[in-house]
Amino acid sequence: MPREIALADALVPSILLVYLGCLLVLWVVDTIVGRYGLYRYVWHPSLFRVALFFCLFGAAGLLLYP
Amino acid sequence: MKIQTQPLLRFLITAVVVVVALLLGHALWRHYMYSPWTRDGRVRAEVARIAPDVSGLVTRVAVVDNQVVNRGDVLFVIDPERFHIALAQAQANLAAAEASARAAGANIDAVLASAAARRAEYDMRQDQARRRQDLADVVPKEERTDARSAADTARAVWQQAQASGHQATAAREQAEAAVVQAQVAVERAKLDVARTEVRAPVDGYVTNLDVRVGDYAAAGSPRLALIDRHSYYIYGYFEETKLPSIRVGDPVDIRLLSGGVRLRGRITGVARGITDRDNPTGRDLLADVNPTFNWVRLAQRVPVRIDIDEASIPADVVLAAGMTASIDVQQRRVLDRGRDQGKPTP
Repeated sequence: MPREIALADALVPSILLVYLGCLLVLWVVDTIVGRYGLYRYVWHPSLFRVALFFCLFGAAGLLLYP
Repeated sequence: MKIQTQPLLRFLITAVVVVVALLLGHALWRHYMYSPWTRDGRVRAEVARIAPDVSGLVTRVAVVDNQVVNRGDVLFVIDPERFHIALAQAQANLAAAEASARAAGANIDAVLASAAARRAEYDMRQDQARRRQDLADVVPKEERTDARSAADTARAVWQQAQASGHQATAAREQAEAAVVQAQVAVERAKLDVARTEVRAPVDGYVTNLDVRVGDYAAAGSPRLALIDRHSYYIYGYFEETKLPSIRVGDPVDIRLLSGGVRLRGRITGVARGITDRDNPTGRDLLADVNPTFNWVRLAQRVPVRIDIDEASIPADVVLAAGMTASIDVQQRRVLDRGRDQGKPTP
């Protein structure tokens, strides 16, 4: 994955795309978890969501970003 | 039973996810902040500023802007007429000097012959005076004294002729030195004639051609830039936080902003000094320290010189000095790991 991509002629770090993708994945996961009521196994849902996002973003960033 | 374990399970799941999030976030932060790469790389090249060595009118411009030239190719020509005239003058001076050297040589012969004649005359006078001394009974004293004086005079004249001989030798040496001087002047005039053709000192590209037929080109004032074709290199401006993981000799990946072309390179040096921008000298030689925030600090950027592997440049890529490149240094621990596994290098 390149370090930077051109968005409308502005070069932005491609980690921005990773960030947006992680937001999308988080939204999907959040929907699924909410539908099956799995949040009852979680202490603070908001804290869990934030931590989950950091897990996703950190892992994806370390894997995809050179 | 289930009612008792569920709160513990809830807490544990959340705690594990939070801890993992903290670790991953920290790792990503370190990766982003300290891994040795930069977007701030510049392609550079060595540029020769071509100036004529002699002044004169430009009569021919043999290149066009951005042309590729080889070492020794003529770039432009300065009117050689004046320098041909100077050469003819110098050659005439040389001929004159050689003639006067020959004259000095002939003069020496003349002076030596004259000295021999004076010597003979002195010998004669001396013999005469001695004979008169021996005949002291019949020759009057006055005549004897006269003869003695005549001999002394002849001796003085002979010595004078000898001195003239030395003088003539010195004059010949002077004339010979003048010949050498005139030869040097001829060589210089020939050099001037040769230098009316301004030639390319290296293989490269003509850039910023600012010379036209009819211009007056002054010696020493540059008229065009010649970029050395084999001298392209890259300056990567690395943040100082990334310097600890940069080592001379490390291979780097270069990615040009133009077309995303990938090149290979190698670090050849790290600049050992940059200007302290926060402390220019103010008026009265006092320091002019820039006030900064305590908690916002910008990492300075230090130039790192990278040689481009010429074999990795695709044939259709245009490299221009000043282009932007991203630099990615291959990580040190990866290299070290490879080195530990491989054979020790001698």
